Amino acid sequence: MTEYLVRRVLQAVLVLFLITVVSFGLMHAAPGGPLKVMLSPGMSPEAQLIQMKNMGLDQPVYIQYMKWVGNLLQGDLGHTFKNNVPVGDILWPTVWNTFVLMSVAWGLSMLIAIPWGIYNSTKQYGLSDQIASIVAYLGFAMPTFWFGIMLQQYFAMQLNLLPLSDMWTMGKEGQLSDLILHLILPVTVLTLVNIAAYVKYTRASMLEVLEQDYIRTARAKGMKERRVIFRHALRNALIPVVTIIGLDLPTLVAGAALTESVFNWPGMGRLFVEMAVAREYSVLMSITLLISLMVIIGNLLADLIYALVDPRVQLGRKGGRAA
Amino acid sequence: MERNILEIKNLTTCFFTDDGTVKATDRVSINVGKGQTVCLVGESGSGKSVTSLAVMRLIDYAGGFIQSGNVMFHGQDLAAKELDEMMHIRGNKIAMIFQDPMSALNPVFTVGDQIAESLMLHQNMSQQDAFKKAIEMLRMVGIPAPEVRVKQYPHEMSGGMCQRVVIAMALACNPEMLIADEPTTALDVTVQAQILDLLRRLQKELGMSILLITHDMGVAAEMADRIAVMYAGTIVEEGTVERIFDEPRHPYTIGLLQSIPGFEGERGSELYTIQGTIPSITQLPTGCRFHPRCPHSIDKCRKEEPILREVVTGQQVACWLNEDVSNHFRRNQRTNSVAGSKAEVNRQ
Repeated sequence: MTEYLVRRVLQAVLVLFLITVVSFGLMHAAPGGPLKVMLSPGMSPEAQLIQMKNMGLDQPVYIQYMKWVGNLLQGDLGHTFKNNVPVGDILWPTVWNTFVLMSVAWGLSMLIAIPWGIYNSTKQYGLSDQIASIVAYLGFAMPTFWFGIMLQQYFAMQLNLLPLSDMWTMGKEGQLSDLILHLILPVTVLTLVNIAAYVKYTRASMLEVLEQDYIRTARAKGMKERRVIFRHALRNALIPVVTIIGLDLPTLVAGAALTESVFNWPGMGRLFVEMAVAREYSVLMSITLLISLMVIIGNLLADLIYALVDPRVQLGRKGGRAA
Repeated sequence: MERNILEIKNLTTCFFTDDGTVKATDRVSINVGKGQTVCLVGESGSGKSVTSLAVMRLIDYAGGFIQSGNVMFHGQDLAAKELDEMMHIRGNKIAMIFQDPMSALNPVFTVGDQIAESLMLHQNMSQQDAFKKAIEMLRMVGIPAPEVRVKQYPHEMSGGMCQRVVIAMALACNPEMLIADEPTTALDVTVQAQILDLLRRLQKELGMSILLITHDMGVAAEMADRIAVMYAGTIVEEGTVERIFDEPRHPYTIGLLQSIPGFEGERGSELYTIQGTIPSITQLPTGCRFHPRCPHSIDKCRKEEPILREVVTGQQVACWLNEDVSNHFRRNQRTNSVAGSKAEVNRQ
């Protein structure tokens, strides 16, 4: 087990390294560049050169990369080109804001979707199942930005019930009730999308398990139907669902660019879009690094939970006797 | 006279399909006496398993239902019970084991868990006591080192071992009746013989009755007191094991017995097969269901459906040709003695 974890961590370091190399290269290869954004029109070539030197952009890309890695290893994420702000000062509050939004949406979707999926599997093609299908179609088909705007239009503009956007009302920063009001609309958008997927996965997985011989065995033993579903079936059905949910873990930090932009939520998704437009290399690299890290952690967690719920899976053993 | 523990009377079961409801079994009657083993034999699709599922009322979960008839168990009609009431009977009074032991056990629970579960439910045992009993049960079915095995998962065991666990699980609550649906089909031959031995030993020890479903005449010869032969959802012949093997009367039974490969026959001689295949339950022939495949069918067989009736003591048959017992068609029957079939099984 320890050996397995060490191996996974070493793999993770290698993967992170490759990701930074590729994204650093891509970022610099992209047309435009920070100069195009920063320079005033009609600046003399000499002045441009001085500006480039100041920003460290006159050096070859690999030197720039090594400098960036060197700083990173010392815990320095770099500074923005504009106003020379430390990246950490921009990044960490945004991470927190995104985490608040995404964890509420994620938790809520699981709380709704998993029990709903279980119920629907026991009443296949019933009313509830049909409604879930409609919700799933809507969730998959509706563009989130459009759905977000519709909600804003109705609940904020027409009914004036909920705040239109942002995370706090000016002057009410830190009040929980204010935060909750601001959360409702974006969380609705995000939850609908998640539910669409989770409810279908749970239902499909349950239906498959309910067909299995061991479910018939459990019934033949005289188990009550509730116990058959929640003990014998659910434990097996959740195995694939857990994996899918675990792989969604990175979005907790990565955020949702469109939804955050529509609701002006000061989170990572929105920050990434803004910083990409402004060509703020240090911020973009930090975000990429953070999300990559989360993807790796999410995968590792999914594997660990998988081994926890399925005794047939044994981590770190090649070609176990898994059936 | 022994009292019957289980009396299945005119059991008709149906399934919901895209073409409407379809009869899977038609007026099936079987009696199982105390301590007796009754074998239900027939080809795949003849309705053997459906009958067993109907007794347990598990058919209700498989998209089917009991249309008419009774399943009398100790004077109670199981066919008329609410599903909730069946919970006290299933696994407690009547236990069931299934064909494929590897898939019959839940992969995410230890075998001890799965055995103890029944005991905790039906006998109100504490978890500790139930686990002790589970170890005892594993020892009883011949699993070595039961203290270790009880904590293992099904995937850590072989097929034969799993079937022993399934049997231990079924017998944990000391049921009066065991329904075994092809319990040895998924196992290789040596393990098959061990499992049959085990079942016979346990039956003697515990005094239970067994309804054994099999398509293997050898297994039936080995195990049965009585045999009921099913074809296309009906019982075509029923009788004591001696009568069925010594003097089979239904052409289908005769065909089944002839298609057992023997040791006496000439090397390279062709194995006997019954022509054609079992009809689909959606397209049953008129009259006798076997007549299109029957080498002796007469005009009456195409028109009227024969009913099961006793032709000699201890043997019932549903065949028009048996109206007259000395009918010509039985002249060239082979006699397949019980002793011969048993010997074959043992040699395997």
